[in-house]
Amino acid sequence: MSDMIREFIDSWFLFSNSYIAGWCIAAMLALIGVIVVARDQIFIGAAISQSATCGIALGLWLANAFALAEDSWWTSRAFHGVMSGTFAVLAALLTSFAGRSWRETHESITGWLFLFTGGASILLVAHTPHGLEEVHRLMASSIIGATMEDTIVLASALALSAFVLWRSYRPVLLVVTDPEMARANGLRVPLWEAGIAIGIGLLIGLALRVSGMTYTFACLVLPALIAKHMCREIRGVFLAAPPLALVASFLAFLLAHRYDAPPAQVTVVLLSLALAAVWLVRFARGMLSR
Amino acid sequence: MARDAQDPLVRLRDVALSYGRQPVLDGVSFAIRPGEFWFVLGPNGSGKSTLLKGILGMLPVRGGEVSIDAARVPRERIGFVPQRGEFKDTLPTTVREFVTLGLVGCRVQKSDEPRHLAWALERVGLAGFERRDYAALSFGQRQRTLLARALIRRPSLIVLDEPTSGLDPQAQRDFLGMLAEMTRAGQLTVLFVTHQLPMAIECATHLAVVHGGRVRTGERREIVASREFWELFPAALDSPAGAPAAAGEAAAT
Repeated sequence: MSDMIREFIDSWFLFSNSYIAGWCIAAMLALIGVIVVARDQIFIGAAISQSATCGIALGLWLANAFALAEDSWWTSRAFHGVMSGTFAVLAALLTSFAGRSWRETHESITGWLFLFTGGASILLVAHTPHGLEEVHRLMASSIIGATMEDTIVLASALALSAFVLWRSYRPVLLVVTDPEMARANGLRVPLWEAGIAIGIGLLIGLALRVSGMTYTFACLVLPALIAKHMCREIRGVFLAAPPLALVASFLAFLLAHRYDAPPAQVTVVLLSLALAAVWLVRFARGMLSR
Repeated sequence: MARDAQDPLVRLRDVALSYGRQPVLDGVSFAIRPGEFWFVLGPNGSGKSTLLKGILGMLPVRGGEVSIDAARVPRERIGFVPQRGEFKDTLPTTVREFVTLGLVGCRVQKSDEPRHLAWALERVGLAGFERRDYAALSFGQRQRTLLARALIRRPSLIVLDEPTSGLDPQAQRDFLGMLAEMTRAGQLTVLFVTHQLPMAIECATHLAVVHGGRVRTGERREIVASREFWELFPAALDSPAGAPAAAGEAAAT
């Protein structure tokens, strides 16, 4: 164990930005993931992540189609971040509001969005040099390669989302769990819903560009699902999910470094196993109490 | 201008309500004064809940005007009890967390919240339930937590949308008895949607009968004495509360 930690510390100089960015993403997404889990709209995370990937694919296609210089802003990480964020926000708004007036279920819209943006992402970059490779990297997830700027932006986003949720925890919870009651209490529910959708979209868009789809989706829903079974109140879930995500990603990065495995996938598997263990304990307790 | 204590808290003037292009209610005019106990009656789909939503501002008014005396009934002093709580059983929460969600939109100091919570839970017969898991409560207890969530706002006006459907008769009586007591004490004005005629005829000071896109309102005696009422609710004749009222009408005619 001590060898593992020493080796990890030795690698800090090379990968510190990737590690810190990965932890910021884990904590930030775990926090807003509680809203997604409270709404029982788990798959929305996958659809928004896929849409953000499609935004980056469109950026790559534009650069190729208009033969933009490789060192121009249009080919930069910042431009990809803007595309990713914009598509993620649009997807979050679409999944929040579309379908109501034409009597379609939320799941149908989410499924359609996931399939459309998944297919479109590949089609857009099919004939783009390095484009297909980049989209495959995003879909598979890799946190290696995060820069100092990424780390600063993600740490700021984590601090801001924690502050906003701390200040408006109760109205957010009421809007998410009982919108009719929120309306009766005088809240402007469509505005709150739009704000929540934009927030979730922006944070997923920010995370996706750095960490890819699988890690983003996993950090969004798995820590909140685990914490849900460990806490007696939703306030507790908000408090427990980010530390859980941090501990899991820290352990995963240690293991990944030791066994030369992709850290994002190790995190996803660790969190998934933790959730399975929690379900098992819950099941066993239920059986014993009969 | 000085405000009379008996000036209306809520006044509807020629109100029209609709869902999209589908008109539901038209020409609704009545006033609710402090301490009155209103029941809203009507067949399924007649627009009872729509009327409540219009009053609470949850549905845009298509015509006319709904005015609430904001000085005596500010938004934070209006309580709403829906038919069912929408809170999912798969989410963890305690009675404390669930009921204090009712404080959204109220200016209550954090330090005063436990006192408000204890007061609301005591009113609904759930004193000491603060730390209980919401998922472990019975249906009747959950309905009471919905009422507590409205009462924690210390409302002057409480609006209830069939909260007693599904409760056993004793629980219904307890629920209404508690509301009636608070109304008599002058703490509360009640607007209550129900299907249960005997209960309404027994407890109401005023009735609003919703039928055919119109709302007929008045004091209980006046409404119950009308032939139209008995034509609309013939089953009420069989109820213990209905028989004397019908007899009264027969004597009058």
